[in-house]
Amino acid sequence: MASRKLKLKCMDGVTMEVEEMVALEWLTIKQSREDNDDDSDVVIPISITSEILLKVIEYSKKHLDTTSNSDHQNADSNLKAWDAEFVNVDVNTLYHLIMAANYLNIPCLLDLTCRRVADMITGKKVEEVRKTFNIISDYTPEEEEEMRQQYPWGFE
Amino acid sequence: MTGNMRLKEEGEEEEGASPIIYGDVLELILSYVPLVDLAHACLVSDTWKHAVSSSLFHLNKLRPWLVVHSQTTRSPYLTTTHAYDPRSRLWLHVDKPPLRHVSPLRSSHSSLLYMLSPSKFSFSRDPLHLTWHHAQPPLVWRMDPIVAAIGPRIIIAGGSCDFEDDPLAVEIYDVESRSWDSCQSMPANLKDSAAATWLSIAVNGRRMFVTEKTTGETYSFDPATKIWNGPYELRPDPAVFFSAIGFAGDRMILVGLIGDAENVKNVKLWKVDEETMECEKVGEMPQLLLEKLKNGNSNLASIGVTMQGDFIYIHNTSESGALLCCEFKIHDEIEWSIIENVIIISDQTRMGRLVFTCSDVGIHDVHKALSSDNRRFSVQSVE
Repeated sequence: MASRKLKLKCMDGVTMEVEEMVALEWLTIKQSREDNDDDSDVVIPISITSEILLKVIEYSKKHLDTTSNSDHQNADSNLKAWDAEFVNVDVNTLYHLIMAANYLNIPCLLDLTCRRVADMITGKKVEEVRKTFNIISDYTPEEEEEMRQQYPWGFE
Repeated sequence: MTGNMRLKEEGEEEEGASPIIYGDVLELILSYVPLVDLAHACLVSDTWKHAVSSSLFHLNKLRPWLVVHSQTTRSPYLTTTHAYDPRSRLWLHVDKPPLRHVSPLRSSHSSLLYMLSPSKFSFSRDPLHLTWHHAQPPLVWRMDPIVAAIGPRIIIAGGSCDFEDDPLAVEIYDVESRSWDSCQSMPANLKDSAAATWLSIAVNGRRMFVTEKTTGETYSFDPATKIWNGPYELRPDPAVFFSAIGFAGDRMILVGLIGDAENVKNVKLWKVDEETMECEKVGEMPQLLLEKLKNGNSNLASIGVTMQGDFIYIHNTSESGALLCCEFKIHDEIEWSIIENVIIISDQTRMGRLVFTCSDVGIHDVHKALSSDNRRFSVQSVE
């Protein structure tokens, strides 16, 4: 059964076709379609690169497939494991996924990606966080020293 | 965490380097980071410090912790402390140096924690109980008094067990002058129930309200004038057989069990007007949660209640079963929830008694605990 495809024009110039069923999971697209009276020939421009869009499609397809074929026993834990693997990527990619999830308004993906980055912050000391996120401290050497004195537990 | 927030563009990134995450994305991510980790996050850079502040203010605000102190019943009264942070829905184990001169811990309201022994009266009011004040004990020896901290004064009433002592004796400790003073005894009607077992108290900045749990007979006490007022009958529903009171922020709340101990039908909440003592119903526990509170046991004779800010925590005093919480949201609508993963606490009850306190913990408090008291917070994962 052929499903309708929507055309999305990515930020890097690439136009991608996405199954309508998948794209309508994204609330921004859903709204845009409703506003345009479901005209299927409209090419929707989006502020996302094709590389990231591919990943978002992968995520939505997986979640859609799981919802419709849920063998309740394992479906939940399998999906969780799949999600964990999906966000087991570098900070750069996570960052773009967060932006995409927000732009397309995909609450569960936004939640998943933000939690993953939050997990990269929890349990870490200050220097480790700086390294992970490529942060250069904007404190003066004197201020830095003062902080280390005042909060030794953050730097030991 | 839903909604289509407009995240600002983050700017150009260098080839091969991680993007510098800041602005709205950073604040959103920080809203998922537990408070104890935000304590580190705000030291990362000045930008992150502001992002933490902003995230706490706009996205996921601070919420009062429920602190559970588990203490063995015999000397040396070893204490284990766990805290539930509703902002991140997780349990923390609080690793801290043991208190010196320990005796049984107690709490009558919000964040107050105290210990009373024949030689000493010690209390702590700060959110994480970093500072303890040690004083001479009151003149009258008491086993189970009601204790209230109001401004610079601590009031101790009732609980005496010596045959010669006045069961209604009230003494006030002035924190600044470190001295005790006696004053007007509790009303005579409370003669047979003048102890924490029978009385529930609600304390705000000015007064203490005392209610008899089984009858709803209520009195108020003003430590400035040292005068008792009442009785008032706090029984908004004749079917209430047990009630507990407290202050959730500015609201005086009455929590009532309806029916009887073998068959509790509902748990309802009323807001009490301090001046008129009139009650207005503000909420009712969902039946599903009531079943969890009973924990498979049909008998529910009493509940323990502790409140702070917009939160009320309710537990079953006889079992280490469900811990429930309700939060006042916009327009004072109540949102009920069950606190998950309480098995940590269940394990502790086999060892001793549980004492519950509730406090507004902020980053500053966490910093202080980590710096000056050598505390360590570890997030407990049960899975």
